[in-house]
Amino acid sequence: MEPPEHDTTSPLRLRTGGGETDTARQTPAKAKAPRSWRGRDYGLVILAAPAVILLVIFSYGPMAGLVVAFQDFNVADGVFGSPWAGFKNFEFFFTSGNAGRIMWNTLFLNVLFLAATLGAGVVLALMLNEIRGRVTKRFFQSVIFVPYFVSPIVVSIFLQAFLAGPGGRGGLVNDFLGMFALPELSWYTEPGPWPWILTVVKVWQLGGYMSVIFLAAITSIPEEVYEAGVIDGASRAQMAFRITVPLLKPTAAILLVLGVGRIFYGDFGTIYAIVGDNGTLFATTDVIDTYVFRALRTFGDFGTTAAIGLFQSVVGFVLVVIATLVQRRYARETSIL
Amino acid sequence: MTATETAPIRTTPPSAAAARPHDARRRRRHRPEPFTIASYLGVGAFGLVCLIPFWMVIAGSLTAESVLSQRGYSFWPDPFSVDAYATIFAGSRVWLSYGATIFITVVGTAIAVASTSGIAWVIARGLPWLSKPLAVFTYIPMLFTGGLVPMYILITQVLQLRNSWFAVILPLVIAPFLVFVQVSFFRGTPQEILDAARIDGAGELRVFFQIVLPLSKPVIAVIALFYAVTFWNEWFHALLFISEPAKYPLQLVLQNLITSVANAADLGTTTAAPVYAIRLAMTVITIGPILLAYPFAQRYFVKGLTLGASKG
Repeated sequence: MEPPEHDTTSPLRLRTGGGETDTARQTPAKAKAPRSWRGRDYGLVILAAPAVILLVIFSYGPMAGLVVAFQDFNVADGVFGSPWAGFKNFEFFFTSGNAGRIMWNTLFLNVLFLAATLGAGVVLALMLNEIRGRVTKRFFQSVIFVPYFVSPIVVSIFLQAFLAGPGGRGGLVNDFLGMFALPELSWYTEPGPWPWILTVVKVWQLGGYMSVIFLAAITSIPEEVYEAGVIDGASRAQMAFRITVPLLKPTAAILLVLGVGRIFYGDFGTIYAIVGDNGTLFATTDVIDTYVFRALRTFGDFGTTAAIGLFQSVVGFVLVVIATLVQRRYARETSIL
Repeated sequence: MTATETAPIRTTPPSAAAARPHDARRRRRHRPEPFTIASYLGVGAFGLVCLIPFWMVIAGSLTAESVLSQRGYSFWPDPFSVDAYATIFAGSRVWLSYGATIFITVVGTAIAVASTSGIAWVIARGLPWLSKPLAVFTYIPMLFTGGLVPMYILITQVLQLRNSWFAVILPLVIAPFLVFVQVSFFRGTPQEILDAARIDGAGELRVFFQIVLPLSKPVIAVIALFYAVTFWNEWFHALLFISEPAKYPLQLVLQNLITSVANAADLGTTTAAPVYAIRLAMTVITIGPILLAYPFAQRYFVKGLTLGASKG
């Protein structure tokens, strides 16, 4: 009905379908809306008010609070009274020598996590798709979805059982290595393998979740698509990799865009719960978010940490816009998530 | 709607076109293909990997401390001991933190579901000058956040919520993603019913509470579960804002046990506590309710994740 208006909110159309506020379905409601509104009814205002107020305070408030990044903030003077500092806070961060390392760690870990969880999700969905029988399939699906429910803290305790046993003992992995007479490793003092350990943890936690999303996409592939394959005598594997996988690209693209938008945000929950304040592992695991958290906690340096936060938000925003545009160019028909 | 049925395998409705796939299916039943076998093995192996840590921790929590610290973890609790649980439940801390977690989860989920449903309906309502701006307004926080520092200043300086459970609850009560999940469900509300109600003189609030909400129980269950798990597992805001040990939620108590096993002694009443077993028992206590609710909840989670997909 109003194509130009439609276009102004175009980034929205990518989202849950929620972005698509304005397609066919709303047209009937639109017709009678103005009268019921102007006449008597403030009901909608009442319904939206709580969420709007909460968003203003807890989402938009902190955005405004980013002015702290340009201040020499101190608690006594508050946000409004603290003296201005220009770009000094940014300078302090970028010249501190930590910036390069933590930004690299953040990007590297997030790329690893994203690639690994997407890959695991696709493979698991393909394999789940082979399983016959409703009950069996649902059972497997439920089992691999379980890890999604536990908090990073619990994951951390699980991991300790494998990598560091009680009372400084070796843990299960070392017991296992010992069985083959391989040298044991003191995992929590060895930064090298941690990016991979954390990737395994992410796959463990999110593999099932991702597979549900991809399996839903597989389910919506019309059956006729496979008939030609069946007639030509394609094997199940060929059908999975030649027919299903290409059809999963749009779903993967959207998850990728979402992931890229968050690529500059370190996975604070998982990393801090697992690594904590274990300084020996910082070389490979310290990301922007854990750095900011520690800086705030130990030095109480509001200005620099806010500057990093602002930098993160801006880069994240730019990345998500670029990713959205690229994604729309290549797969505009997609609307999952 | 289930995610468990899949196109290539699902029994097709009887039709001419379905004849051939049917033959193929029958043939497969006799001789499964290598890829199918590999799939069963792969999913089975991943499933085991998913469950083993849970079993390790449960078994460990039921093992006597002396054995645990000497031999490490084993797959069977031998000798069996409930000392760790006895110690934990003898102290008052676990009850307090259970109370805290339940308060945060129940109150948080209630506020979250109420406010999310409200704004989602107004967005789904489709009024061009109200719904669209609200959708953008809800979408922006997904792209751009203020980050840790302003939130910290807001909670501690402006709102003075330090050591209040609301410092944990309020920043998390609107998840834009869930708002949009709910919007896409609300859009499916049959227009005829709404029209009929309006003609009968029902106002916006009446339509929402008496028609839309009763028709939306499935999505409300989904939203509530997502929020409930978020609140149950929340520890970051608790770590930042709650410093009185008596107000710690479960996850924070557990986090303290990671930082130092010595903290385990605080949980019980005696100092000679089985610290390692306590850490594991506390883990079991923390995840217990989620695992008990899981068989019921899992269906809804899959549904929630699938909601967006089926629209495509």
